[in-house]
Amino acid sequence: MPHHEFECSTTIPERKKHAVIKGAGEDLTSALPEGYLNTIPGSISERGCAYCGAKHVIGTPMKDVIHLSHGPVGCTYDTWQTKRYISDNENFQLKYTFATDMKEKNIVFGAEKMLKQNIIEAFKAFPQIKRMTLYQTCASALIGDDIGAVAQEVMEEMPEVDIFVCNSPGFKGPSQSGGHHTINIAWIKDKVGTVEPKITSDYVINYVGEYNIQGDEEIMHDYFKRMGIQVLSTFTGNGSYDDLRAMHGAHLNVLECARSAEYICNELRVRYGIPRLDIDGFGFEPLSDSLRKVGLFFGIEERAQKIIDEETARWKPELEWYKERLKGKKVCLWPGGSKLWHWAHVIHEEMGLDVVSVYTKFGHQQDMEKGIARCEEGTLAIDDPNELESVEAMLRLKPDVIFTGKRPGEVAKKIRVPYLNAHAYHNGPYKGYEGWVRFARDIYNAIYSPIHQLSLLDISKDEIPTDKGFATQMMFSDAALSEEAASASTQRQYTGKYDCVPDYMNKTYPDELKKKPVGAH
Amino acid sequence: MSCELKNKDRVGVINPIFTCQPAGAQFASIGIKDTIGLVHGGQGCVMFVRLLISQHFKESFEIASSSVHEDGAVFGALNRVEEGVDVLLMRYPDVKIIPIISTCSTEIIGDDIDGVVIKLNEGLLKEKYPDREVHLIPIHTPSFVGSMISGYDVAVKDFVSYFAKKDQPNRKINLFTGWVNPGDVTALKHLLAEMQIDATVLFEIESFDSPVMPDGNHVSHGNTTIEDLTGTANAFGSIVLNRYEGGKAAKFLEKKFDIPALIGPTPIGIRNTDTFLQNLKTMTGKPIPESLVRERGLAIDALTDLSHMFFADKRVAIYGNPDLVIGLAEFCLDLEMKPVLLLLGDDNPGYKEDPRIKALQEKVDYDMQIIMNADFWDLENRIKNEGLELDLILGHSKGRFISIDYDIPMLRVGFPTYDRAGMHRYPVVGYAGAIWLAEQMANTLFADMEHKKNKEWLLNVW
Repeated sequence: MPHHEFECSTTIPERKKHAVIKGAGEDLTSALPEGYLNTIPGSISERGCAYCGAKHVIGTPMKDVIHLSHGPVGCTYDTWQTKRYISDNENFQLKYTFATDMKEKNIVFGAEKMLKQNIIEAFKAFPQIKRMTLYQTCASALIGDDIGAVAQEVMEEMPEVDIFVCNSPGFKGPSQSGGHHTINIAWIKDKVGTVEPKITSDYVINYVGEYNIQGDEEIMHDYFKRMGIQVLSTFTGNGSYDDLRAMHGAHLNVLECARSAEYICNELRVRYGIPRLDIDGFGFEPLSDSLRKVGLFFGIEERAQKIIDEETARWKPELEWYKERLKGKKVCLWPGGSKLWHWAHVIHEEMGLDVVSVYTKFGHQQDMEKGIARCEEGTLAIDDPNELESVEAMLRLKPDVIFTGKRPGEVAKKIRVPYLNAHAYHNGPYKGYEGWVRFARDIYNAIYSPIHQLSLLDISKDEIPTDKGFATQMMFSDAALSEEAASASTQRQYTGKYDCVPDYMNKTYPDELKKKPVGAH
Repeated sequence: MSCELKNKDRVGVINPIFTCQPAGAQFASIGIKDTIGLVHGGQGCVMFVRLLISQHFKESFEIASSSVHEDGAVFGALNRVEEGVDVLLMRYPDVKIIPIISTCSTEIIGDDIDGVVIKLNEGLLKEKYPDREVHLIPIHTPSFVGSMISGYDVAVKDFVSYFAKKDQPNRKINLFTGWVNPGDVTALKHLLAEMQIDATVLFEIESFDSPVMPDGNHVSHGNTTIEDLTGTANAFGSIVLNRYEGGKAAKFLEKKFDIPALIGPTPIGIRNTDTFLQNLKTMTGKPIPESLVRERGLAIDALTDLSHMFFADKRVAIYGNPDLVIGLAEFCLDLEMKPVLLLLGDDNPGYKEDPRIKALQEKVDYDMQIIMNADFWDLENRIKNEGLELDLILGHSKGRFISIDYDIPMLRVGFPTYDRAGMHRYPVVGYAGAIWLAEQMANTLFADMEHKKNKEWLLNVW
C-alpha cells in the first residue's frame, strides 16, 4: 500500500491510513485513504462541526430568511461574517444573524419559552421577512428543547410566517459534513412540496449545491437563462426560501457540490422522480460538457452550443495567456470537500498546473476516489490533515501556490508559499467562463507577486540584487517564455471588470426561449 | 439631561457584539509561551475562534480541540481529553502548558475536567512523561455564562493562580493589560521603560505580529513564560488596566499573597494615561521623567489642533469590550465630543457598580444611554427606527454594516478588526494611543465630509 506516514505523525500511527501517495500504475484499489472517521483529539485538525456544516455552509446562503440559532451566543457570532455568499437582496443573510443567547438559567430550566419570545422578537424587528430557520446547537440539543414544537406553535399563532427547524448540533458526526446531510434531509422532509411552483418555462431546473460564493450563482444563471431555462430554485446560494419549498416542480436537478447536497438530489429523485444531473461550473471543458448535458436533457443542445461558442471565443484567449505562464507550477489543492475533484484535473488540463497534493477536511472516501482518480502520479492525498502535517507536506513538496482556507493560508505565508482562498476566493467569482479566467488571473498574481519574490531573499546571506527599482509579474512570468509565446497576439490578460457580477445580474432575456419550439417534445 | 443605564429590552440577540467564554480563554492561552490550549467540546468552538483571531491579526495560532463527537456527548468525553493531552505532548515537544478549556456542551454533560487532570497527573504524565515539565490547567468557561470578556478574565486568573508562588520580592510590578493589541503592549512597555520600571506584562503579545522569515515556519505566539507567571506572587503590586479583563487575577494575588492591586483606569486618552503614570509612581516610587512630559506635550499639541475645531459636540456611539468602551467614552468627553450611546455586550452585574459608569451617570450633562447585554440591533434600531443621529461610530468590525448602510463614519477599534488593514499594530493606550485615536477619528470624519460634500472646503485651510 502506498500509504504515506508523516514524520510528525509517527506517534499517532492511525494517521498513516489517512494519507497516500499515488504511485506509478496505482489506482483507487491500492491508493485510497481512510475518510470521514472520528478526528484524533489534540491533533489540531482543521475540521469544523455539524452545526456550522448545516447553518454556516448550507442554511445561511438562503437570502430571505431570519437565521436564528438556539444556544449560547458564540455559535452565532463565530459563524457570522466569515463567508462571501452574496445575494441580490442587499445581503440580508450576510448582515443579520440571530441568537437566542441561552444563559445558565435556561440550561437549568429549559429554554423553550425564551425561544418563542426570540422568534417573535426577530420577526418584529424585520417585518418584511416572513421566513425563519432555527438551528439547534450543542447546548439546546443536550438540554432537550423541543424546537419543532415551539416552531409549530408560533406558526399556528402567526399564520403568515413559516419556520424551518434544523437539528444539527455541533457534535453530530466527525465534521461539518454531518450537518450538510442533516439539513438536506430535513429540508426535503419538512419543506419541499409545501409551496406550489410558479412555472414560467418549458425547461425547469433546480440548481443544487451552489452557494453563490462571490457571485458564482449569478454567472451560472446567465447561461441557464440564455438557454431559456427557468431556475426554479437554487439550493442554497442566493436562494429564496419559498422557491426552495417548490423544488418538487422542476424537471431536472442540476447538482454542483455533490459533497454537500447530493442527499437532497437523491431524495428528490426517489420522492418526485426528478432526475439528478451532476455538472461542473469550474473550467471551460467541464462547464461546456455540463451545458451540453443540460441542453441534451431538454433537447436544446444547439442553444448550449451557441453559448459555449460565444463564451469560449470571448474568454479562451485570456485563459490561454495565463496557461502559458502557469505551466508546470506546483499546486497544493487543499480545499474543504468537493473542490479537490472539481479542480484537480481541470487546473492541470486548462492552466497547465501540476497538482502535487490534494487534501480534504470534511470529504468522504468518495471525494478522495474522484480526486485521486483525476490526479497525476506522485500526488500526496491527505484526509483530515492537521497543522503539522500540512507544514511538513508544504516543506517537502515546495508548491508554488496553495489553495486553502484563510487561516491555513496564514501558515503557508510564513513558509513563503503564496495562498489563494479556496473557499471564499480571492477575487471571484471563479465559476463560469469569465470566472475561470479570474481564477487563473488570481493564481498568476499570487505566484508572480513581486513581494513574494522578495520574501525568498535572505538579506543577511544572499547577494542583494541592486539593479532593479521595481519588478512586475511579467518580468518574472515571461522571462522563461519564448519570444513567440510571450508576444502571442491571440492571447491576452483578463479584460473584465473588478466586479463582473452586476452586468450578469442586469441582463434581460427573450421570453420566447422559454417555450419549446413547435413540434418539439 | 441624564445618563441612563439599562439592559437591552429584548430576550434574544440580533447581531452579537461578543462571542462566548471559551473564546476569551483561548485568546488568553495564546499569550503564553509553550502553551497549546485544548478546548473540550465540539470542533467548531476552536475552528472558528482560530479563524476569528486569524482574521484580526492576519496570523495563525495553534489551539487544539478534544473533538467531542456524538458518542462523547452521550457517554461522556473525558477519554477525548486524555487522548488529546497525550497527542499534543507527543507531537509538540516544546509544549509545557495545556489549559483544558470547557465549553457549553461538556459543562452540560458534566465532564469533570478537574478530575481528569488529577488522573492524568497521576497516570499518563508520571508513566509516559516522567522527565517532562507539563502543566494541565482546567479552565471552566461554559458558553452560557458571561461572555468572551469573562472567559478571558477567568482564564487569566486560572493561569496566575496555578503558577503564582511566593518567593523573594522580584521588585517588579504585574501589569495586566487586558485584551489588547501588540501595538498597545509596545506603547505600555515604552511608558514603563521611560519610568525605568521593571514589569511582568501579562501577556507579552507583541510577538503576535510575527514576520515572514527566510528560514520559514514562524509560528505566531505570545511570550509570557512560566517564570513570569510564577513571579506574579512576588511583585510590588499589580496594576490592572482593564477591570473586566484581568481584575480577577489581581484580586486573587491580593487576597492570597498580599500583592496590592490597583484596578483601572484603562489608560485611554491623556487623563487616564496621567492616572496610570501616577499609579506607577505610587506603586514604585519612581518619578515621572521629563521625556514623558514631552510626549504628553506632543499629544496635547495634536489634540488641541483637533478638539474644538472638529470634535466639539460630535455625537458618538461606542461598542465593544467594556473597559475599551468606557475608556473611549471618557476620552471623547475630554475631546468635547458627546458619546450618546455606549453598548456593553454582556450582562456582567459589575457594570452597575463600576465607578466610571457611576461618574457618567452623575456628571453627564446631555442625554446618554448605556445599554448592558446589548447587541448591534440596539444601535441599528435606534438609527433606523428611532431617529438616533450620529456623527461617528467607534467599534470593531462586526458592526461594519451599520456604518456602511446608514453612511455613518466609523473608526475601527477593538477586537476583532478585520475590515481595515494593520490596526493591531497601533496603540489606543498611552499618549501615543491618544494621538493615534484622535487623528484617526479626525481623518475618518474628514473622509466623510468629502464623501458627503459636507463642508469639505473647511479643510482647505486648517
